[in-house]
Amino acid sequence: MTSSTDEFDYEAALGACAAGERGALHRIYQLEGARLLAVALRIVRRRDVAEDVVHDAFVRIWEKAASFDPARGSGRGWIYSIVRHGALNHIRDHARETPADESLIEQTEHAGEGSVPDPYEQVLLASESGQLYDCLGRLDAPKRSSILLAYLEGCSHSEIAERLATPLGTVKAWIRRGLQSLKECMA
Amino acid sequence: MSDPRPQDDLAGLFVLGLLDAAQRAAVERNLEHDAGLRARVAYWEERLLPLIKMVEPEPLPPTLWARIESSLWPAPSRSAAGAHASLAERLWDSLAFWRTLAATGFAAAMLLAVIGLPGTQTAAEPKFMVVLVAPEDKAPGWVVQASTTQSLKLIPLGMTEVPQARALQFWTKGKDWKGPVSLGLVQPGRPLDVQLKELPPLEHNQLFEITLEPEYGSPIGKPTGPILYIGRAVKVM
Repeated sequence: MTSSTDEFDYEAALGACAAGERGALHRIYQLEGARLLAVALRIVRRRDVAEDVVHDAFVRIWEKAASFDPARGSGRGWIYSIVRHGALNHIRDHARETPADESLIEQTEHAGEGSVPDPYEQVLLASESGQLYDCLGRLDAPKRSSILLAYLEGCSHSEIAERLATPLGTVKAWIRRGLQSLKECMA
Repeated sequence: MSDPRPQDDLAGLFVLGLLDAAQRAAVERNLEHDAGLRARVAYWEERLLPLIKMVEPEPLPPTLWARIESSLWPAPSRSAAGAHASLAERLWDSLAFWRTLAATGFAAAMLLAVIGLPGTQTAAEPKFMVVLVAPEDKAPGWVVQASTTQSLKLIPLGMTEVPQARALQFWTKGKDWKGPVSLGLVQPGRPLDVQLKELPPLEHNQLFEITLEPEYGSPIGKPTGPILYIGRAVKVM
């Protein structure tokens, strides 16, 4: 692979898809397919289903490329939103059969009493940089975890409440305030 | 104003996937016409996108791309006829197009309730009526009324969306005719009066259709594009 995702012009590639250039879609697949599959897998938790989600998403990307409007956001964001919404739609229609990632359950169970478990603390502190990560770092752990569980794992409010062993109303407030704080921080 | 939740939250919650089915459906509907909402959703899509860096890429199964390819481009090679079909398919797949059709269903019912019953007309009573419906879902799009056997009026029941550089063309074909005869181009949403001077008188069961054609009409005098609406004349008692 010659170009990285940082250099790749997603908007131009989507334009080429709209113009019927099949190679452009393949290039997007080569660059992003593996991560798109991972994003879908995190949400649907079944490999065959995740592959279906990515398959459907690429069909959709090709068919809808002409309707992509760069004024509304980045091409890369658009591609990921198609995969995420595809995965989210799947879990809404089908109850997730397999339990949550075991390591996450363990972390939840091993968290000390009285403190809210933070399944993402380690990952977050690891290496990522950028404004979003700075701002996430400033959020209280429970707010951050709630947002990450929703975005990355497709958890519903009640699933987050269960995972974090917290009342539903509290989780809803965490998310609402977490989004507000993020927005203020990233302004 | 009475909504305790600011709209920004709605967009944020939508992107997080946390809205319930009704709220989500409302957002999806509003996204089509609410530029502000689109901007707020795009804001969160963009801002949260860096989170994907937390997910380690998964190896792609070698068959997945082949599957995508065969779904998108099933035939090994496409003939001119194939290219033609794909244009028609794209039209059939156009959501806006079908939504327009569905929206006209109610209008048609209303209109037929008013004009469709014999005896309610005060002026010239129609001798023939045709309801032109979309072939697939039977949603009515236009009505033809004929007060004489030599003239008719085409009445829209809603707006038909026509792609750039395309036009609607109106056709008819009697039982023993060789092929359809053009009755002219039709403006979407506009009625059209047609004189049938050189054609045989209208007959029961005569076929009418509206097809999608190039901007200035079919170049060969016969329908070339997909049938958008079709119906047969019914003699009004």
